[in-house]
Amino acid sequence: MAKSTGTTALKDRDASRFLAQATFGATAAEIARLQRLGYAAWLAEQLAIPATPSHQAYLDAVLATGTSLSDSHVAHTFWKQAATGVDSLRQRVAFALSQIFVVSLQDSTVNNYRRGVGGYLDMLGREAFGNYRSLLEAVARHPMMGIYLSHLRNQKEDPTRNRIPDQNFAREVMQLFSIGLVQLNADGTPRLVNGAPVESYTADDIVGLSRVFTGFSWAGLDTVDGRFHGYSTPPPDPNRDILPMQGYMKFHSVSEKRFLGTVIPAGQPNPDESLRIALDTLAAHPNVGPFLGRQLIQRLVTSNPSAAYVGRVAQAFNIGRYTYGTWTVGSGVRGDLKATIAAVLLDRDARATPSLNNPNFGRVREPILRMANWMRAFNVRSASGNFLLGTTDDAATSLGQTVMRSPSVFNFYRPGYVPPNTAIADAGLVAPEMQIIHESAVIGYSNYMRSVVQSGAGSNSPRDIQPDYSAEIALADRPDSLVNRMDLLLTFGTMSSATKTIIRDAIATVPLPTSSQTTARTNRVWLAVLFTLSAPDFLVQK
Amino acid sequence: MTTRISRREFLKTAAAVSSTGIAAPFALNLAALGSAAAQTGGYRALVCLFLHGGNDHTNTVIPYDLASHSEYFNARSSIALTREELAPTSLGAVASQGGREFALHPSLVAMRRLYSEGNAAVVANVGPLIVPTTKLQYQSRSVPLPPKLFSHNDQQSAWQAHMASGEGVRQGWGGSLGDQLLGGNANTAFMCISAAGNAVWLSGRNVVQYQVSTSGALTMNAITGSLYGSSAATAAYRNLVTLASSNLFENEMGVINRRSIETNDLLRTALPPTTFFTTPVPSGNTLASQLNVVARMIAGRSALGLNRQVFLVSLGGFDHHDYLLTQQAQRLATVDTAVDAFWSWLGQMGMQSSVTLFTASDFGRTLTSNGDGSDHGWGSHHFVVGGGVAGNTIYGDFPQTAYGTTSDIGQGSLLPGTAVDQLAGSLGRWLGVPDSSMSTVLPNIGNYATRYLPLYG
Repeated sequence: MAKSTGTTALKDRDASRFLAQATFGATAAEIARLQRLGYAAWLAEQLAIPATPSHQAYLDAVLATGTSLSDSHVAHTFWKQAATGVDSLRQRVAFALSQIFVVSLQDSTVNNYRRGVGGYLDMLGREAFGNYRSLLEAVARHPMMGIYLSHLRNQKEDPTRNRIPDQNFAREVMQLFSIGLVQLNADGTPRLVNGAPVESYTADDIVGLSRVFTGFSWAGLDTVDGRFHGYSTPPPDPNRDILPMQGYMKFHSVSEKRFLGTVIPAGQPNPDESLRIALDTLAAHPNVGPFLGRQLIQRLVTSNPSAAYVGRVAQAFNIGRYTYGTWTVGSGVRGDLKATIAAVLLDRDARATPSLNNPNFGRVREPILRMANWMRAFNVRSASGNFLLGTTDDAATSLGQTVMRSPSVFNFYRPGYVPPNTAIADAGLVAPEMQIIHESAVIGYSNYMRSVVQSGAGSNSPRDIQPDYSAEIALADRPDSLVNRMDLLLTFGTMSSATKTIIRDAIATVPLPTSSQTTARTNRVWLAVLFTLSAPDFLVQK
Repeated sequence: MTTRISRREFLKTAAAVSSTGIAAPFALNLAALGSAAAQTGGYRALVCLFLHGGNDHTNTVIPYDLASHSEYFNARSSIALTREELAPTSLGAVASQGGREFALHPSLVAMRRLYSEGNAAVVANVGPLIVPTTKLQYQSRSVPLPPKLFSHNDQQSAWQAHMASGEGVRQGWGGSLGDQLLGGNANTAFMCISAAGNAVWLSGRNVVQYQVSTSGALTMNAITGSLYGSSAATAAYRNLVTLASSNLFENEMGVINRRSIETNDLLRTALPPTTFFTTPVPSGNTLASQLNVVARMIAGRSALGLNRQVFLVSLGGFDHHDYLLTQQAQRLATVDTAVDAFWSWLGQMGMQSSVTLFTASDFGRTLTSNGDGSDHGWGSHHFVVGGGVAGNTIYGDFPQTAYGTTSDIGQGSLLPGTAVDQLAGSLGRWLGVPDSSMSTVLPNIGNYATRYLPLYG
């Protein structure tokens, strides 16, 4: 592997910070590796690791034991990959994409297809380093999205029965997955005409596009009616929950399809052809780069990126290429997501130290991320090998968030959420993750982590997921060193002196006996870990 | 009036101070200041039951007389309910609607009983508006309209905001009502309460919404007793999680932690246990659990020093593009069971006339079927429940359930005939906000010749 293209060796704190943004959190080993490689070589290496359908494989292994799947199994495979996946960048970006291209097990029909939802997460991972156009089609054709936004089995209009095509996916694919509600400048700011934003699509565009998303249903060997409807005859393909939906001409609208300046003339009978034209139109829209780019920045780096930062990421998306020092990444084709991700992570706003002192910089770590950070920082092991941490929906008693269980297609929180009556609102800023943080959630999180830090996470007794605190226990007689290790692993050297003092003093409240120190050392480490996971310095990723 | 204004000014200052973390809102004992006028007429509370996803109103309140039902049935085809299905929940002839007959969805058995007893009413075709709007005005866009109609998140905001604004809005009319009524409470932290997560509806200019757990009071274990063998560490932990910071996000985490710790200490002593009520909480019903903690807070009103409260509860799963007939029936049954239990809890406390519950949702839906569901619309029918409500009637104009009417703006979606502002104003006036202050709560209320519905007779 080539050495770093950078000129100076990375500091460990900078490496840790990068890993907090690019992965599910730093480990001591990965910090050292990244220091050795430099950002560019590390990213190049991660971008080259092939995608594997790890979630499907996990869930198939569960099914092979004769166990029927629950939502918890989807959580288990997620945690396993978050904690231990070698493709740590891909896993993190897939999780980010799962909060933009949302499907949810909270939907009672999607809930019948846990394997399909695992497959959907695999698909996001596979497409994460590809091209946006391909990602958009994989999302549009995935049967879980087809169920969730109800275009699976969607039929052409039938005027004799007052029936029109379902508009659900047509609306949300524009609002949430591609162009957003208002026209954007190249830097993501709203384009103003006479001082007012301009809506990027109209109700007529939705009607036109809704005709495109007709005649799609389960994949299989043929396109007979029974397969379209999902009947038991002909026998369903055993992988239909994962395979892309196929077109069924009989049910596809042949009316004119007019949207966003594109016209598919009346008489087009082929759903695949209509879909191609529609997705080409959406993917070519100038909004996509800044719309998607801003959200990726919010998911990985900061809630309120500067317009210039969004503009630079959108530029990488648009030209399909990004250059950092001597390293250039991307195919040169518009929509290249490798270039886009590199632009998000390597931008000066993401990397520069001054942003750490900007009171507006950073993002609240969502609860799932906090748990993942704990798992990785302390090299957890799963006794079963299966990472048996299930659903954690309840905010008052657990994390208040479970992967793939968003309340709606609008994710756990909106990218534009403004917490009311706060200094954040007064400053004109958004704080998406604060939409799920409130008086109950902060106590729920504290209590949950108090238990996890001490006893591990997940089901079984002892709990299935156990941390390895041996490196920390070795430092227990040196509170400053112990605090500094917490700071390196979890807050990448940004822990305030006030926080450090509190933690160090708390550690010192546990006296170390001259002999039989195990209990006291362990208690000290537990205090250090829980205090760090509860500190504002950690709760906000800067 | 002078004292009123000065009190409001004081509140504004006090709330500003508290949001920076210098003083906690619960510490403001306004009654003790002497300038706060006591609310007259005893305790009152408003409860918003938000149905997330856009409830299909067409199958919630259904025309029932032969001619009207036939019109409905022909318009809806595959997703229509039959008269036989509706017979047990029929409401009979409704004088306010020219004697037309209506029925409720078959799942709404308790709601139908409350309606018949005069404790519930329907508000027909209500939705967000800026000004009264005709179909022609809508089509020509010649009047201002709520932004981003038919979009879930934006129309949730439009329903909840005090100015029918879209996503990102910072103030809701529930919170604005709270701003006006805050002075009646000795304890300002519990004015606007959500049992269902953060929602813009409850955010006022001064009022900070409070999230209560369905479990009631929560205890932060790490500040109680001993933490990993150290009793001294608990104070340090409390200090840590309430730290101030120059980073705005870090600082806000500290603010929330402090508010949470202090308010839960109060709730712990004030809330009765769930077993206080003889009617048990319906099992597996998350909405009932939310309404139960609302009832428990109402039971603790004296201990908490509360005279006025605004609550939010919610249930998701109403976006029925698919499986409308089966899934809406389940959802509405959950609502019906929960409201029925809530009514009995209020009854045990003798508080049925002191509480008004109303339903709200993202939007109504299309009349057209897309096979086995319906799409996003605008105006919708909703319920108002309470012992003080002049029930057993339908307020507003219930449109013809057909295409091409003066209310049909496409696919049978309804142009609202009654504005959310008018409903909100009616509820707010009952809660005690004077007409003279209503335009502060609802800046567009002056656009309506009839500001209030006669919901309370």
